[in-house]
Amino acid sequence: MSESLEKLQNRILSDAKLKAEETVKEAQSKAEQFLEEALRRSQKETEDMIAKAKVEAESVRRSILSSKVRVNRLRILDEKNRIVEDIIRTVEDQLSSIARTDQFENTAERFVAEAVKAVESDQPIVRIGFKDATKKNLDGISRGLPKGGKLVIDEKPIDDFGGVIATDPQGKVVFNNTFKSRLERLDNQLLTLISSTVFAE
Amino acid sequence: MVDEAVARGQKVASEAREQAERSRQEAIARAQQQRDQILREAKEKAEAEARQSDRETEQILETYRKLSEERKTAAVTKAVELILNA
Repeated sequence: MSESLEKLQNRILSDAKLKAEETVKEAQSKAEQFLEEALRRSQKETEDMIAKAKVEAESVRRSILSSKVRVNRLRILDEKNRIVEDIIRTVEDQLSSIARTDQFENTAERFVAEAVKAVESDQPIVRIGFKDATKKNLDGISRGLPKGGKLVIDEKPIDDFGGVIATDPQGKVVFNNTFKSRLERLDNQLLTLISSTVFAE
Repeated sequence: MVDEAVARGQKVASEAREQAERSRQEAIARAQQQRDQILREAKEKAEAEARQSDRETEQILETYRKLSEERKTAAVTKAVELILNA
């Protein structure tokens, strides 16, 4: 009887020992799995951080560069504009001083003829005014007008730089042939001409 | 004995959690440093490229100024001709 009790006791002890070992083993195995999983998660987390940082870095780089490129393009554009405007001012000066050159009479006659032709009237009224122009300069011009035409000489340059304005007797048809008006009409051609002359390779 | 084993198992699990959190924090700190470095390098590179852009722009502006000096008279003559004769 006592032998059998001892066997039973040993068996209970052995079972408990086995269960304890299994419990610990199971806990260790779960802990290893947990660690591996945690490591995978943290690796993924850090990889995401680095990937985001690379995208952010590219965005920072683009932002710095694009604002600089924009500023520099504007500086170049400003300089080109400054140069072209300076040339146009010189052109305006030369045009407004044309009465002092030997081109004047021919130019004024041509401007008048163009304006008269444009208003298509037998009795055109032509206003003419150039800086420094004298009556003597303008004498020949009236000869180019139709018989019913009238020439009005302004003492001051018309439209700042001088020129000619023709109308029909009723003032319904007006043709502005002043330098200012010609500059405006030829604006695109003028800018292209100046740019190609100054900036072409 | 079994209770002891259960307690030991809980301790193992708790230690594993702590170790995982430590490893995570270390990895995040390393990634943060890497992130800062990537951003710093990108900024430095962009600033160097921006300085290069400034130098190139200065050269272009200088060229334009020289061209303007050399060609202004010709441009004015052509422009006056255009306005007079167009």
